[in-house]
Amino acid sequence: MSVLGWRALVVFALLAAVPFVPGMSRYYLLLAFDALLFGAIAMSLDLLMGYTGLVSFGHAAFYGLGAYATAILMERGVQSVWACVGFAILVVGLYALVVSFFATARRGIYFALLTLIFAEVVYTFFRYTQTFGGSDGIQGLPDAILLPGLVIDTPTRKYYLVLVYLIVAYAICRVLVASHFGRVLVAIRENEDRARFLGYNVQRYKMGVCMISALLTGVAGAIYPMRSAFATPDLMLWTESGEFIISVMIGGLGTLVGPIIGGAFFTILRDKVSSVVDWYFIVIGVVLIVIVLFMPRGLLGLRRLFARRERRAAA
Amino acid sequence: MDYVLSILLPQLLHGLVFGAALGLLALGLTVIFGLLGVMNFAHGELYMLGAYAGIVVISVAHSFWVALIAAPILVGIVAALTEMTTLRPLYRREPLYGLILTFGLALVFREGARQIWGGDMRRVLPPFTGSTPLLGMTYPNYRLFLLVASSLILLAIWLFFTRTRAGIVVRAAVQDAEMLDGLGVDVKRVFTLTFAASGALAALAGLLLAPVFTVYPQMGVEMILLAFIVVILGGMGSMGGSVVAAFVIGIAQSLFSLWMNPQRVAIAIFGIMIVVLIVRPRGFFGREGVLE
Repeated sequence: MSVLGWRALVVFALLAAVPFVPGMSRYYLLLAFDALLFGAIAMSLDLLMGYTGLVSFGHAAFYGLGAYATAILMERGVQSVWACVGFAILVVGLYALVVSFFATARRGIYFALLTLIFAEVVYTFFRYTQTFGGSDGIQGLPDAILLPGLVIDTPTRKYYLVLVYLIVAYAICRVLVASHFGRVLVAIRENEDRARFLGYNVQRYKMGVCMISALLTGVAGAIYPMRSAFATPDLMLWTESGEFIISVMIGGLGTLVGPIIGGAFFTILRDKVSSVVDWYFIVIGVVLIVIVLFMPRGLLGLRRLFARRERRAAA
Repeated sequence: MDYVLSILLPQLLHGLVFGAALGLLALGLTVIFGLLGVMNFAHGELYMLGAYAGIVVISVAHSFWVALIAAPILVGIVAALTEMTTLRPLYRREPLYGLILTFGLALVFREGARQIWGGDMRRVLPPFTGSTPLLGMTYPNYRLFLLVASSLILLAIWLFFTRTRAGIVVRAAVQDAEMLDGLGVDVKRVFTLTFAASGALAALAGLLLAPVFTVYPQMGVEMILLAFIVVILGGMGSMGGSVVAAFVIGIAQSLFSLWMNPQRVAIAIFGIMIVVLIVRPRGFFGREGVLE
């Protein structure tokens, strides 16, 4: 537990108390589910964007494939959480192996566009394959079963499922970025050629982080139908990948915690704004533009800015 | 023979027409990429705005030809203002920020268009109808005009880049903007004007294709992916490569659709791109070390 640090433990304990907040409704619990899930995905994307300097525009495919893995099993009567997650890891892993092999051979913009195009192939496939429901996707899935007799049916149980996933994923990411592997990733971000001249097999490292990020996102995707009871091709649309990127940017690149906050903030913003106005995409677009222009380090960067000012004021 | 004349040949021409218009779109994208190092995600939205601006002008002036002049100018102005207010502050930052910024711009433009003009599909009537007998078949006049007009514009752009001082300045900015700045050229103005011109080209493509396709707020999203593929295939930053790749994709798309259903066509196009990138990682005409 020491890898998490006491602050993270406090935050997770507070998050675990959320269902006990007086007046907590089903609606808000499910919104909290979405917020944490989106946060977890943004965090795993941050491994690529913030730490390695690679922008993936294809994370929606990992997410959507994970969701379809669960949906396909559940449709055939397999309701075990473990089986669904295992199947998602297998499917997403195979796909991610192919994508990361080709995409990591290239740098910068090529990486972004290759991941985007691969994701579009997957989207087009599911969008038009009637076996998997075509554009409607797979609907009306049953509740998942965690252990014999423990069905994930109430919003509270669903919420705890995603919270446990977030904690595990966060621990994995924390250990990863603090390890030698994580240091090499940062070296690649700072100067890829120098990392190569130092004798590191740069592509292998990039593939490795790509796979980890994809698998974390895929597992998040596998959990999603356990709350929504459906998987649709829209989950794989490239604008969805864009929303993951927006979340990372809102939170702050290369901080892990930032993207979790960013993803949660984005989910809640989208939900709240869309219930008030019809043009919430304009709001989201403007938020993104403002963040890129005026606070490129995101919400966490803002905190640092204030901290510096306070220190200066104190001195 | 009958098959060739009545099916293959028209489809080939369709491909050429589409390829020429796609070339207009991809060319602007390539130049902006070379200049700013940014893949402009909002380019598809400028294409969409071109079609809507055309509809507005047509409803006021009742002339497709006036719209063909006015719409690109209007969109060019929008593009210039956008560049000055949002992209200019990002020049010194990593291209990543520009990429994400244009994604935000695309969201704003797309939703803005939906708010102003509604989400339903609209049609633009071609300025003239009828068809011409050609090589033993008949072909719609408007599509022929589309092919000729797009080709002439592409030719004009090529002459601009090779024969005029302004064109050479833009190419110099693509190569080394800092050096150009040092030589006393107002690089900021070059960037703004080029961005405006690329927006105007996208708008022109949008309006030219409007009578053939339908106009709706999402129309840019579908084109931009194709334009990305064209730019990658042609080799990042290679203008000639983009035009060649646009024709290749245009023809491939329309020929494939003879034998496959639309989703297979899309997957086949993606397949072409993936194969080309494996065999020739820098595309048709990409040079080593450029923009990586």
